[in-house]
Amino acid sequence: MKLSLSWIRDYVDLPADLEIKKLAYELTMDTVEVEGVENLADRFANMVVGVIEEVLPHPNADKLRVCRVDIGGDVKEIVCGGINLAEGMKVAVACPGAMVRWHGEGEPVVIKNSKLRGVASFGMICASDEIGLGELFPASQEAEIVDLSAFDAAAGTPLAEALGLDDQILEIDNKSMTNRPDLWGHYGIARELAALYGLPLKKIEPFSTDVKSDFKIEIADPDRCPRYIGVELEGVFVKPSSFEMQSRIWRVGMRPINALVDITNYVMLATGNPTHAFDADNISGHIVVRRAEAGEKLLLLNDKDLTLTDDDLVITDAEGPVALAGVMGGAKDSILPKTQRVILEVANFESTGIRRTALRYDNRTEASSRYEKAVDPERCDQAAAMAMAYFKEFYPEMQVTGWCDRYPKKLERAEIDVDLDWLAKRLGMELPYDVIRGKLESLGFDVAVNAFARDSRKMHVIAPTWRSTGDISIKDDVMEEVARMYGYDNFLPTPITTTFDHAINQKDQDLLRRIKEYLAFRCGLQEVYTYPWMNDQYVNAILPNTDGVLKLSTPPAPNLSYIRSTLLPNLCEAVAKNEKYFEEFKIFEEAQVFFDRNYTSPYDPAEALPEQKRHIGGAFVSAKASVEALFREAKGVLEYMPRFTHMEGFAFERREAPSWAEPAVWLNILLDGEIIGGMGLLSKRASMACGIKNVKAILFELDVTKLRPLASRTNKFTHLPEYPVSDYDISMLFEANARWEEIAAAILNGKKPAVLKGAAFVDEYRGRQVPEGKKSVTIRLTIGSEEKTLSSEEIEKCAAQVMKKLGKELGAVLRAQ
Amino acid sequence: MKDKIQSMLKEAKAAIEAAASESSLQTAKSNLLGKQGSISQLLKELPKMDAALRPEAGKLLNQAKNELNEIIEAKRTEIKLKASEVSADFDCTVPGTLPQGGALHPITQMCYDLNDAFRSMGFEVFQEDDITSEYYAFDKLNFPPNHPARESMDTYWLEGHDSGPTNEKLCLRPHLTGGSVRYMQTHKPPYRFVYPGRVYRNEATDAHHERAFFQYEALIVDKDVKFTDGKVMIQSILSKVFGREVPVRMRAGFFPFVEPGFEIDMGCQVCGGKGCPVCKHVGWIEVMPGGTPHPNVLRAAGLDPDEYTGFYVNIGLDRLVMMRYGVDDVRLFHSADLRFLGQFK
Repeated sequence: MKLSLSWIRDYVDLPADLEIKKLAYELTMDTVEVEGVENLADRFANMVVGVIEEVLPHPNADKLRVCRVDIGGDVKEIVCGGINLAEGMKVAVACPGAMVRWHGEGEPVVIKNSKLRGVASFGMICASDEIGLGELFPASQEAEIVDLSAFDAAAGTPLAEALGLDDQILEIDNKSMTNRPDLWGHYGIARELAALYGLPLKKIEPFSTDVKSDFKIEIADPDRCPRYIGVELEGVFVKPSSFEMQSRIWRVGMRPINALVDITNYVMLATGNPTHAFDADNISGHIVVRRAEAGEKLLLLNDKDLTLTDDDLVITDAEGPVALAGVMGGAKDSILPKTQRVILEVANFESTGIRRTALRYDNRTEASSRYEKAVDPERCDQAAAMAMAYFKEFYPEMQVTGWCDRYPKKLERAEIDVDLDWLAKRLGMELPYDVIRGKLESLGFDVAVNAFARDSRKMHVIAPTWRSTGDISIKDDVMEEVARMYGYDNFLPTPITTTFDHAINQKDQDLLRRIKEYLAFRCGLQEVYTYPWMNDQYVNAILPNTDGVLKLSTPPAPNLSYIRSTLLPNLCEAVAKNEKYFEEFKIFEEAQVFFDRNYTSPYDPAEALPEQKRHIGGAFVSAKASVEALFREAKGVLEYMPRFTHMEGFAFERREAPSWAEPAVWLNILLDGEIIGGMGLLSKRASMACGIKNVKAILFELDVTKLRPLASRTNKFTHLPEYPVSDYDISMLFEANARWEEIAAAILNGKKPAVLKGAAFVDEYRGRQVPEGKKSVTIRLTIGSEEKTLSSEEIEKCAAQVMKKLGKELGAVLRAQ
Repeated sequence: MKDKIQSMLKEAKAAIEAAASESSLQTAKSNLLGKQGSISQLLKELPKMDAALRPEAGKLLNQAKNELNEIIEAKRTEIKLKASEVSADFDCTVPGTLPQGGALHPITQMCYDLNDAFRSMGFEVFQEDDITSEYYAFDKLNFPPNHPARESMDTYWLEGHDSGPTNEKLCLRPHLTGGSVRYMQTHKPPYRFVYPGRVYRNEATDAHHERAFFQYEALIVDKDVKFTDGKVMIQSILSKVFGREVPVRMRAGFFPFVEPGFEIDMGCQVCGGKGCPVCKHVGWIEVMPGGTPHPNVLRAAGLDPDEYTGFYVNIGLDRLVMMRYGVDDVRLFHSADLRFLGQFK
């Protein structure tokens, strides 16, 4: 919302030397956020009123003139193409240094002394839209210069001063005042400033009339329309309003139209209470405010043709709806050039109904956005009085032919008891009662202590009507008013104490962090975040079907309706995105997944939440690495995760093949026999469906909720060997389908040399030098003794025994060197 | 004999001196001290000598042998020291090899930094589910029944669970505060906990608005908490996270679940409070709402608001990270774009 400081000054005598920055700061700290302050005069810097003394032809151009212009103590020659130039005319002159928009378009440019077709020109004589005044001085044709002859300003007067535009505009963050409907208007802000600065607020006396007529208003639904003032006026007509009114409306961001419409907008901007003017000649019978009947039609001012519901409140005449109450007028009753009689509406409508209707038809307006904040019905008095004053000013001959104030649902002022001891405790300091009362009374509250009990510590507070529409309702609200008026910065902080009886011990939280740090720091994976919704393309590529997958009812896009039951589709999308820039990368994500099943809630028996788990998933991606290498890397990361993150270990088995995985390359991850995750190579088919073109990807996913952290960091100490331990590599040819699991078992199970301490896989090789149907496996044996240093003969003997056993059990033969 | 030894020594020293490598030194050594070496040859001559002269000659030979051994070892060390594995034009300006390139997401980094700070002050870390009911997301937090945030244009409701009583309507949580009520329901006061998580709003996105973003809630509930305590807490936390004193100010703000409510600003870390485009030239950045939990919220958690009060803040993690690193588009956080994420270690 934009506010004009000079307008606010109509209602409160702010000190003339008040710094605008200070005012903005204080409003921000105590009431609402001031997002910005604009000195309007800055827009018109280096612009002055000029008086054209002479208009001469341009020697080199038919369409241009050379004007001699008095700009105050100096006469300058200015080249101009305006079509309405005349001697004696007052014009806006942009002197060198001023910012203008050529022909009202594009970015502003700085005016310089220049030559136009060979003639030197001092600045520029402006059209209204070149200096941002197109709405205040609409040009009737192209190349029309703005004529300021009507203004009482001498040549050389700064333009802003001449037009009364030397004003400060405050921009208030609307979000910061959703709970303060009383502030939506200059009068409301003036009232708050009066309280902040301890200044008197000017009263707006209610309008009264003794007119007697059969003009009447009927309210059929007082809950939705607590108050409606209708005024019937004769002897009005369409003409421009005063320049001052137009200017103020324009300064705060609306567009002046004509006096009848401007008055209604002006009153709304001043008081926060929307008003509306109907053309009375288009209203048949009297006005009834009622709910629409379902299916009733209404054509709005903006040509929207509505079919109404019975939840919409409408203003009707004998023929049917003429306006959507509190939102917008209808086309039928609108103000037109022929209008001679109007009915002025100053009404109060219930907030939530207005909001529903405005949203239903996607038709939010200045009026509806104010009504939906809950406006105080007492404000109608000020709005009606202000409107009537301007009607009288603009139309001295006007007659009030009808007046009707229906107020079936009077607003109750909020009454609250506040315990002064409670207040002192919560504020952290004891304020004198007089200070508390003073602060509250400045805001319009009535305050009393119980007069009958002398030592009463109870304060009785009655909120003003404008704070009683929901804003102030409990003692905490009163505390806030006291605290902010006293100034939050005036309360001294006290340190928070700590206790020593509960060291934080959150094993699950710690484990999750260790896992993420393990993946990132030790294994080199980059953490990513993706949205909880999945793109249909990846859903179809990865999931066998969408059974049990939850959906959003209003998704961000039609193809993003499923929310994830697995992290893999979004990880695949991330792979597809990143393969454009990287040929090798590793990523992981930790997030929740959701399932349409097992509805329950540990918090409330009436609540039923779907099953939700926390997963961690990732992808090892490479364009150049072999599947074997990629697989071993991924498996290694998972295999060693329990060891490095201190949780119970898990096992790998092939039990249930994932639909997205290459049939030969996948594993399930099991904890205590239960599948808690898996890994595998993204199949060719799934890769293609994901649009992944050049890379191989090993995916993995784990259910974090199933993991079990160890009670503390767990490592086992063994003494360092007293005698040397040797590594001894052997390479043997095995059948191509022999699995390492079997080879390791053959080496380590059953009878084996006492000095054999272990056997580790080094690598395997197929191809040249290895016969068809065979593979070469290199195995590293660890050999050593607790009793002595082994001789090389003893080490070789051990290795020979192992090779013999492998030959016997698996048919392995020593690979020819 | 003495002369022979002298001349042998002279030759030997020259041979040792001439050796340029360990292997030529080794050859020289075996020529002198080996089984067929010069010393051995001279030793063989001893028995043929006059018995009276033998002890003297033996002693001399032994001395010569020891001397040669010493010279050889000294020469060996000299050769070793001389032999460099690198050429003189080794290029020290070649860059180092990147260690494992992975990293945590910048949001996670900020979250962990905050966790560490809060934990050092005795706060627990709480985590809750993303899907919640309208009952917990709004009713329990004192949102009026017609509050606009409840509508589908603001909140992501689940298909098939988007109508009916509020305990049956389900949505992606629009904020974390409902989860705080769950914590309070299942724990005994006093409370001191933080609650990081992702929240969801159905709205149009741009560089400053996202549909999914990260919040970090901190809540203290005790019998004697004042809003000034909250200010001290925030100041202390932000100063730890940013590594320097961070000015904090609290100003009036409104949120249904707090009373009184505050907007909490921190001094702009980009310009140091002087004013710059990041802080819209005011020197302050709005980073979190906060306030005293509304009595209705405490009641919803089963507490007596006349007995208990507290302080709550809800830190916008995205905004804090944007501030920390000067990131200018909030949507990058969910982009999974490694060109972006790779910048944060």
